[in-house]
Amino acid sequence: MNLSRPARIALRTAAGLGFAAIYLPLLLVLLGSLNPDRSASWPPPGLTLDWWAAAWDNEGARAALWTSVKAGLAATAVALVLGTLIAFAVQRHSFFGREAVSFAVVLPIALPGIVTGIALNSAFGTVLEPLGVGLGMFTVVVGHATFCIVVVFNNVVARLRRLPGSYEEAAMDLGAHTFRTFRDVTFPLLRSALLAGGLLAFALSFDEIVVTTFTAGPGVQTLPVWIFNNMTRPQQAPVVSVVAAALVLLSVVPIYAAQRLSSDTTGGARV
Amino acid sequence: MTTLSPSPQAAGTGGAAGPDRPPGPARRLAGLLHRRPRLRLAALLTAPLLWLVLAYLGSLAALFLSAFWTTDSFTSEVVRIWSSRNFEELVGSPVYRTVALRTVGVALAVTGLCALIAFPLAFYTARVAPPRRRPLFVVALLMPLWAGYLVKVYAWRLILSEGGPLDWALRPFGLSGPGYGLTATVLVLTYLWLPYMALPIHTALVQLPDSLLHASADLGARAGRTFVSVVLPMVWPAVAAGSVFTFSLSLGDYITVQIVGGKTQLIGNLVYSNVTLNLPLAAALGTVPVAVIVVYLLAVRRSGALRSL
Repeated sequence: MNLSRPARIALRTAAGLGFAAIYLPLLLVLLGSLNPDRSASWPPPGLTLDWWAAAWDNEGARAALWTSVKAGLAATAVALVLGTLIAFAVQRHSFFGREAVSFAVVLPIALPGIVTGIALNSAFGTVLEPLGVGLGMFTVVVGHATFCIVVVFNNVVARLRRLPGSYEEAAMDLGAHTFRTFRDVTFPLLRSALLAGGLLAFALSFDEIVVTTFTAGPGVQTLPVWIFNNMTRPQQAPVVSVVAAALVLLSVVPIYAAQRLSSDTTGGARV
Repeated sequence: MTTLSPSPQAAGTGGAAGPDRPPGPARRLAGLLHRRPRLRLAALLTAPLLWLVLAYLGSLAALFLSAFWTTDSFTSEVVRIWSSRNFEELVGSPVYRTVALRTVGVALAVTGLCALIAFPLAFYTARVAPPRRRPLFVVALLMPLWAGYLVKVYAWRLILSEGGPLDWALRPFGLSGPGYGLTATVLVLTYLWLPYMALPIHTALVQLPDSLLHASADLGARAGRTFVSVVLPMVWPAVAAGSVFTFSLSLGDYITVQIVGGKTQLIGNLVYSNVTLNLPLAAALGTVPVAVIVVYLLAVRRSGALRSL
């Protein structure tokens, strides 16, 4: 479209303002973690790294981080297996209720978290508690995996759709059986899609708070739950500000990985 | 691909394997699965469907069934007697009606604001920015998604606090920030869900063929006319797709409201505050956002946006 000069300038200004609005709050979080004042007064009277040292020694935050990582890894593993299975079923077979299956996969993320949360909470209460399984790590992983399946499913389905069946047919013509074909041909072609889906699933689980609140029980605290519980406590304010700033800095890691994966994907598409 | 050179094991299929090498169990199972697609399908679907249907849909169904039960107001025990009292209370009470309307209003406002902000942003990243730098801008649009929900709400809690950065920046103009409340809730939700709107619009604008825009210009349309008659209709499904996220995510939120909403209550807060004492009522309240989302999805499906999700 041939835009006039004023229109271009207006768009450039609007985009500049938009990006400023997106990034200023995150910069303020970084700055806030360096604020020597315990109650985070504004503007900061100076800059200090003391709170970073204090946060490093904070037992609660460390334990919560470790819990989040464990829950995220377990939920991602479950989601990778289940999501891939459903993707193969939906993409390679036609059967009665196929649409319903794809819909059921999306449902946990389409419905409000609080609905999923209380549904799982009351189901765990009535089914698992009589069996002696209380709310804890196991129930958190079940809850997280349920809404993580969809991202793995989406990634694998998208890859399978573009994958020509001829590679697998060739492998089978050469005498490889179903499992061998999967191991040597299908899986390598799916690998980057699985990595991307797994990365998203982990991020989703790592960031989740609502379903976690209802499935964790009193003993298990993930990092978001820890932040939420400590946000309003003046005593913990500096440590919360450091944890928030650390999470902003850490978000560069998945972005870098996703970039590498997407360049890998375009490379793979040219095979 | 050196692995494809025939190894002795893979040299022959089925009967050609030779009498001295009986097929192993893996191969026999593979053959069975290959001959019977139904069995293969069952093997693929059993585990995930057990999980999704039993663990998830089962508990959802149980929850909505419990919306028809009541609670002993003395002991908070759930009484399993069929009644529609919760729904009568829901429809009859002016408090619940006000909160439901306020929630839908917030979700619509957030969706509108997201579209309004995302459009110029995506237009710049997709069609105005130098092509070499576009991938970088896409990353810049996506980056806040990874920074974490709670971190971003926390950031806004700091910004909007009394005497905080926003008040400080506005003071020279004789103004002050909105403080915690309904305005803050809309603002923060807009900030949170903006990438979900910006990304589909960006993708749609990138895919817009140049030839259409040239044709429109050749036929004498100025930029404004081209925008209204060509760009907007083609990008509309993307806006609808993005709005599914912004709308439904706003509708169910209660954490943001708790942190920056002051005394504001949305449906999510009512559900949350009833969970421990009156689960049936909480379940009945929970049906409201679900019903609204279903209606919204049906409305959006007519625009064909769900296919591009």
